[in-house]
Amino acid sequence: MAASNPPNMIDPSIIEYLKAHGEEEIQVGDKLHQITATLNRHISTCQGLLTRIHSTPSSKLAPLLKQVEETGIKPEIESVGELSEFASNYPYYKYNHRWTRSVQNVVSTILLTAWLGGMGTESRPGELGRLLTIEEVGEIVKVPVNLKDRDAFHISIEEYLLALTDISEELSRLAMNSVTMGDIALTVRVSGFVKDLFAGFQLLNLKNDIVRKRVDAVKYHVKKVEDVIYDLSLRNLIPRQTE
Amino acid sequence: MSEVIVPQKGEGFVAGVKRDRQGKEKPMSMSRGNAPQQGGAYTTMFEGFRDELDEHHDRRMRIGKVSRDVTALSKKIIFSLQRVRKLSQPIPTHIQKDIDQRLQEIATQLKEIEPDVQGMNRYRYPLICLEEFVEGVSFAHYLRHQTLMTPAQAQDALLPVNIHLTAPDYVFGIFDLTGEMMRFATAVTALSGSMPTGQKNLEDDADKSGADDDQGGQRSILTDMQDVSSMLHICPTVGKPGTYAKKLSIMIEQVRKVELVGYGVTVRGNERPKGWIPDLSEAAGGDGEDTAMT
Repeated sequence: MAASNPPNMIDPSIIEYLKAHGEEEIQVGDKLHQITATLNRHISTCQGLLTRIHSTPSSKLAPLLKQVEETGIKPEIESVGELSEFASNYPYYKYNHRWTRSVQNVVSTILLTAWLGGMGTESRPGELGRLLTIEEVGEIVKVPVNLKDRDAFHISIEEYLLALTDISEELSRLAMNSVTMGDIALTVRVSGFVKDLFAGFQLLNLKNDIVRKRVDAVKYHVKKVEDVIYDLSLRNLIPRQTE
Repeated sequence: MSEVIVPQKGEGFVAGVKRDRQGKEKPMSMSRGNAPQQGGAYTTMFEGFRDELDEHHDRRMRIGKVSRDVTALSKKIIFSLQRVRKLSQPIPTHIQKDIDQRLQEIATQLKEIEPDVQGMNRYRYPLICLEEFVEGVSFAHYLRHQTLMTPAQAQDALLPVNIHLTAPDYVFGIFDLTGEMMRFATAVTALSGSMPTGQKNLEDDADKSGADDDQGGQRSILTDMQDVSSMLHICPTVGKPGTYAKKLSIMIEQVRKVELVGYGVTVRGNERPKGWIPDLSEAAGGDGEDTAMT
């Protein structure tokens, strides 16, 4: 090899450069893998607990939501905090694909819990049908949202929007199950909400990307709820709102 | 009487804004606030998102367009460079002039999107053209100096454009460089009957010791390619691992092709009359090696 000649083909600085960058990517990748693995475990727990909303009557929902907050969302927030602290040392969009799905899941568990009346604070008690804004989610998770002026970890608009499509799916399922559980008022409530969300999504100019794909599915959630409402109204089962 | 307000372009078609008969915007609280349970409860929020997403998509489009143009210009630089016939010498004036002009066009184009790819947004949008750019300038650098361009030199070549060159930009550009070296090596070997090798007198490498090549101390393009290939094999991967692996395997293929060419001229090169050209014309830029081009 000619590598021992003084005017070499390859300057030693190039090899150093490649090693430094390559090793950093490996180390960051390993650490992110470790953090997101823990985070994903917490997410599974949280989502698992939340599946019980489909079999829990409204009267017993409050203790369940309390449990979700304590054993589901709280650990999630801790993990996201760790992720945020570590990831903020590196370019956000370079590694963002490693955690974006997890963050989206965290946001959707929080949104769903809050919508069902959880996530109350002393200043603002939980309330059925409350949609947290992206800023409110940021305050709960204690991370910035939609950052534009600096390069650090944050919750992006895309992640929030995708989380909205998640809860529209989950709530459309709940609309059906709450009929089974005898809580038709909740079904009506979900119907209004999912329609409002759909109307909101229609205001977006979407390009052919993941957001578009997921938002396209929301109309099927609306349809699913509509069908339930139709069945109910046909049988005169929907209570009059004016009463 | 208050005058009629004509909606300005850009705000005129914003849906969901209620206007009175004069065309003035009605306050949001009047139209929406009283009925949070009605359709459009989240109109304001989604309109905010729409503006953000539009900004993002517009930026992506601008970057994509410039990226395509810069890629095309870089390819033209590479084609011009493939007309060079000698290694480690100044590039002929007419070719250099051509290249300088293209580089200037590239700078003008990239200047346009400079603000779009600063800071956090540098990694947000694909800017493939920088790989092509590195391929072009590092090929020119190699032809002139017969050394591999360093990342710092590649970054300097971008001046006056202030866009950060990332490690994947550099490395993937160098992967593509070996493809150009292969075409150059094949073409020049075919034309001259010997593997391109550094010109001793024209470079400031008089202090060169240790003759370890068959070319009297001068490195041939084949050993250079083998060096680059080993280096990229040894060093940890950067960028998308899949892309790296794919480019690495293409590069290995290219090195092997040039090894075959080197073997060919060593064994039977002298049997051929000088200037004998196989079915490989300058315009076509070589045959059977199009796998290298993307």
